[in-house]
Amino acid sequence: MEHCIINIGRQYGSGGREIGEKIARRLHFAYYDKELISLASKESGLGKEFFEAADEKKTYSLTGGWLGLRNNFISSNFLENYLSNETLFKIQSDIIRELADKQHCVFVGRCADYILRNYPHVLNVFITADLADRKRRILERMDDLTEDKAEDMLEKTDKRRAGYYNYYTGKTWGAAASYHVCINSSVLGIDGTVDYLYNLFEKSGKGEVERQK
Amino acid sequence: MNNKTTPAELGTESIGKLLRQYALPAIIAMTASSLYNITDSIFIGHGVGALALSGLAICFPLMNLAAAFGSLVGAGGSTLLSIRLGQQDYETGNVILGNVIGLNLIVGIAFSVITLIFLDPILYFFGASEETLSYARQYMRVLLVGNVFTHMYMGLNNLLRSAGEPKKSMYATIFTVLINAGLNALFVFGFKWGIKGSASATVIAQVVMLVWQFKFFSNPRYFLHIKRSALRLRRKLVVDMLSIGSAPFFMNAAACLIVIVINQALLRTGGDLAVGAYGIVNRIAFLFIMIVMGINQGMQPIAGYNFGARLYPRVTEVLKKSILFATVVMVAGFVFVQLFPHAVVAIFTTDTDLVDLSVIGLRLTFIMYPIVGFQMVTSNFFQSIGMAGKAIFLSLSRQLIILLPCLLILPSFMGVNGVWMSFPISDFCAAVIAGVLLWKQFRQFKVEAGKRNAEMANR
Repeated sequence: MEHCIINIGRQYGSGGREIGEKIARRLHFAYYDKELISLASKESGLGKEFFEAADEKKTYSLTGGWLGLRNNFISSNFLENYLSNETLFKIQSDIIRELADKQHCVFVGRCADYILRNYPHVLNVFITADLADRKRRILERMDDLTEDKAEDMLEKTDKRRAGYYNYYTGKTWGAAASYHVCINSSVLGIDGTVDYLYNLFEKSGKGEVERQK
Repeated sequence: MNNKTTPAELGTESIGKLLRQYALPAIIAMTASSLYNITDSIFIGHGVGALALSGLAICFPLMNLAAAFGSLVGAGGSTLLSIRLGQQDYETGNVILGNVIGLNLIVGIAFSVITLIFLDPILYFFGASEETLSYARQYMRVLLVGNVFTHMYMGLNNLLRSAGEPKKSMYATIFTVLINAGLNALFVFGFKWGIKGSASATVIAQVVMLVWQFKFFSNPRYFLHIKRSALRLRRKLVVDMLSIGSAPFFMNAAACLIVIVINQALLRTGGDLAVGAYGIVNRIAFLFIMIVMGINQGMQPIAGYNFGARLYPRVTEVLKKSILFATVVMVAGFVFVQLFPHAVVAIFTTDTDLVDLSVIGLRLTFIMYPIVGFQMVTSNFFQSIGMAGKAIFLSLSRQLIILLPCLLILPSFMGVNGVWMSFPISDFCAAVIAGVLLWKQFRQFKVEAGKRNAEMANR
């Protein structure tokens, strides 16, 4: 329970993953993003594709979810269905807690801030960026993406992440009150943001635990 | 609560043993709830009379609709509670408990007020006649006055299961059955209160268990307990609950619609007694259907886990065994009903006209039951492996898509028998569709397995 944790929520294309990786390297913390999926798959014995399909998606939306009624209308306990998004979320959150018990970690996404809310040394961050920067970033990442499709994709991905976060945590995705600090990475750039967060982490006293070891 | 989300035994223990372990409690719970529904029919049939049974059958769709509104709150509440408790978030858990109570209070009372105001036109629309209306009205008035307790009891029972107390929830169900039967005997046979007495017994049984539930949830040392401040509705929670609950709501509402069509067709072609006969046939059929649903509930975690873990031979085995058990149950029902229909009907009534009508109805309705087990298990199988769209389609094919046109067309040519024959025709078509979908699915599995093997070999 005495490990330091940084949780990073992020808008799509805001550079959150890069920032997470860099700060993890600088602090010598373990870094977890998509790796969580393979870990959850290995731990539970369930195929990776189920976790991928459920990744950062909530259950009920009119198309995917309404017809995605997972339970008998008589029984309503999703834990009876091992492939429901809720069960997969539970498996993944067990893994996140296990990892946080073992070492210092940086987690990106997956509601880790909520899952680890009772851990003492946690810093919860949310990263945004200007629309132009986010667009540029995902256009660089994907070759066959056109300009107007990019904007659409940004909007849809964020909507999905918000739905997922709000459903499982009961908090509001991207709202300042849900985090310790929210920062626009366009202001200081990626490295500047990493510096800023690093200093914040040190000053907050959350980093002291690390030096005690 | 269990710490491990996925028990490893699901992938290793013998399928037969797992199926027994998971399905038996579900079968007991299902049987208990179908007995609860049957009790009133038995006492009203013997204590009040044949026409009263018709009056009761007219109330079924309205009771279905009430249950639909109950599941609107209950299903959402228990899903959200399970998520929160899985994260040890007891604070939010308590707010959910409070909101389920608050929302049930509003929905339960609103439903009663609206339906009580328009009760007579509703009952006429549901298939009442001048003769049966007074019975239906007497029964439904009591039930609607107690509706808010019913909703509350059902909602809290769902939460009890989500809170990791499935045994307590099952005992609550069994106790309502026993109290209901005891009070029915006293009120209908002892006090001669008639159909009102039977309805009162139903409501009182639920009130008693509701008091017990409240006592359970009032213990401040239990991690879930009722707090006054939690009763205030939170907008986000309510929206989440209602969106999750909308799917079961529409399934229940569809069931209500079908029963209305059945009642109207029977009233038109066979009169009041035919409606009463359906009340009997429906109750008996329900008993067997619910046992198969219990098997389905037991199969779900086993099939789901093994499919996810790619242990395909075990998936096939659990599917085969479940189909076998379900078919044994349904064949037993079929044989029993075809050989001794009079004995079965005698549980409900001694009126010779009603007995004759019910016997014909029972025999025709059960014709395809030997393959209904296969159909139901297959539908649930798709749900277990995450293909909910196909599962819902199969479930609706038997209960709505094919049944509805049959019910609208056949009675014009065949009279009452047209209504009865709609069931086996729909069952047969639905089973064929299920067979085709299942066959296609397994062929696709084979293709995928072949591809995977080829990939492995190429590496």
